[in-house]
Amino acid sequence: MEAPQYVAARVQQALAEDGRTNELGIRVDIRGDQLFLRGQVSEVEQRTRLGQVAHETAPELRLHNEINVVDATEPGEDEHLD
Amino acid sequence: MSILTDLRIAAVGDIHLGEDGRGHYRRKLQGIEERADVFMLAGDLTRHGTLEEGKVVADELRDLPIPAVAVLGNHDYHSDMEHEIAEELRDAGVIVLDDDGVVLQCGDMKLGVVGGKGFGGGFAGKCASEFGEREIKNFVAHTRSIAEAWKLALKEIVADERVVLSHYSPIKETLEGEPAEIYPFLGSYLLAEAVDTAGADLILHGHAHKGSPKGMTPGGIRVRNVALPVLGRAYGVYCLDCENGS
Ligand SMILES: [Fe+2]
Ligand SMILES: [Fe+2]
Repeated sequence: MEAPQYVAARVQQALAEDGRTNELGIRVDIRGDQLFLRGQVSEVEQRTRLGQVAHETAPELRLHNEINVVDATEPGEDEHLD
Repeated sequence: MSILTDLRIAAVGDIHLGEDGRGHYRRKLQGIEERADVFMLAGDLTRHGTLEEGKVVADELRDLPIPAVAVLGNHDYHSDMEHEIAEELRDAGVIVLDDDGVVLQCGDMKLGVVGGKGFGGGFAGKCASEFGEREIKNFVAHTRSIAEAWKLALKEIVADERVVLSHYSPIKETLEGEPAEIYPFLGSYLLAEAVDTAGADLILHGHAHKGSPKGMTPGGIRVRNVALPVLGRAYGVYCLDCENGS
């Protein structure tokens, strides 16, 4: 059986290099037959695509897509630099 | 007499607009002219760097009520369309810096902005050097030539305040939260060294989505990581206190 570290690395490369996602900052963890995705994106569709690409890369693992969607709309507080 | 005026800079990086972002991003910028004098974009404006995505970004930023200054990020280079994307942005009225500078008139103040994508290499003591294989030498030489161009541009610019706009980070404090193993791909101390030598009032960068918001160069210049996931809001606003002696 292939070491889980190599599978995780391959999934992470796929998320970065697949034209559907090109997402670099996603953390991929494998525990037993489970695959965990964690991180932050700004759209629900991107989270879905990341799950898809991860599943295609390691279809034998059970996927847990724990990526957060953060949609920032408010500008927030000013910072004074003096 | 000397009066204090604030120069308000709205900034964000890593907006990563895809083609499905068309028509959505602009609403986040509503009312920006009441909060800031200038809008700065710290690269990674697109997801894959395609011309179509570049056009989406250009349309979302077209004719903003305040000047917009942008640099590109590594994602915007992914499809080898960086020049075309920059042209789309310029056609939409966005000033795109490519290792050069611009001076903007903001009220009574002259604001100088210098910058570009920047590049990696790592941080003093733990960095790549121009030694060994051609590929490594090219990697470091690319960063070195960028740093040199910024230094020259900063020295040439005559302005009341000077801001450096980059995609990659000049320091490691604003990378905290990212795995230390990838720091060399997130920035280079050569960028900070160049800016410390020439002088500036603020450095803005993006790229490190999991990094930290605040840091400082060894020379004491404030650095802010404005990557959207770090800010967790549409943009940050940074006010420079300008002493306007007259
Ligand atoms: Fe990014
Ligand atoms: Fe980036």
